[in-house]
Amino acid sequence: MSHMVESGGRRTQLLRGVLDLCLLAVMGEGPAYGYEMTKRLRAMGLSIVGEGSIYPLLGRLERDGLVDTHRAASNGGPPRKYYRLSCQGERALTSGISEWTATRDAVDAVLGLVKAEVKS
Amino acid sequence: MSQFVDGCRKEWKRLGVPEAVSNEMAADLTADLAEAEAEGVSPEEVLGNGVFDAQSFAASWAMARGVISSSPRVAGAIRRPSWAVAVGALASLLVAAAGLVIQGGVQRSSMAVAAVRGSITLPGLGQTIGPRHFRIVGPPLPGRLMFMGSNSLHPLGLVLFVAGVVGLGLTLWLWKPWSNRKLPPGFDEDVQLPSYL
Repeated sequence: MSHMVESGGRRTQLLRGVLDLCLLAVMGEGPAYGYEMTKRLRAMGLSIVGEGSIYPLLGRLERDGLVDTHRAASNGGPPRKYYRLSCQGERALTSGISEWTATRDAVDAVLGLVKAEVKS
Repeated sequence: MSQFVDGCRKEWKRLGVPEAVSNEMAADLTADLAEAEAEGVSPEEVLGNGVFDAQSFAASWAMARGVISSSPRVAGAIRRPSWAVAVGALASLLVAAAGLVIQGGVQRSSMAVAAVRGSITLPGLGQTIGPRHFRIVGPPLPGRLMFMGSNSLHPLGLVLFVAGVVGLGLTLWLWKPWSNRKLPPGFDEDVQLPSYL
């Protein structure tokens, strides 16, 4: 049981570090409103159930100037707030992807050692 | 989920979020939740763990957007009111001033009046004085008991001292609730942001 709690906590911690990048990335596909981004994330296998909401994160991205917003009518629904990457956001996304890749590779290298030991 | 949105609205109003911003956030939230419901998606899929606490969710969203400087609930948990600090400082000054006034009074008393323990002959004067005699004899010396009458404690010093002690006590009493106050659940103690950000 405690192992499951620890795993859940680790997932949360990992997501905390990259969820903003994931949002910027799905915005790269085109402007989207809040729930639409949740759907895009879910379609790629990233569910936020049990994790934090994306709304405060979107607010922070907007405040930091990483996204531009505008209101527009959605398909048959009420007007929605659409988010899209700003120039600053594109730079932040590129930089963030580099950091993530470097970190992931380093962690993979360390964890790969353990995996090789287990196999042998 | 309208109850959740209503809870958010109340919190935004309590936090002083401008009505236009509050309306915008509420409208976005309502539309997203309605769309999710129509698609058979759970609110938790949209709101994450924020679905369990409308107040924290609303506060964190408003704070992240920068429409409030920080959540008053958070601020209240980590900051002492400035007037409590002012009362504490004033009380400390009163005690210090009282100490100076009383010390000054004591020095004057010790120079002016001294009691003599037992009968002694004052050198050079050839005069013997008994235990009930009090003379101006200069600074206290061994064998002389300094006498401090009620007039020695300057009334102003006494008043200042009492006021200062009362003030310090009041400050401690006011301080205690803030020192015991905890951050609301879901907030990161280090960064003062919701832990899920």
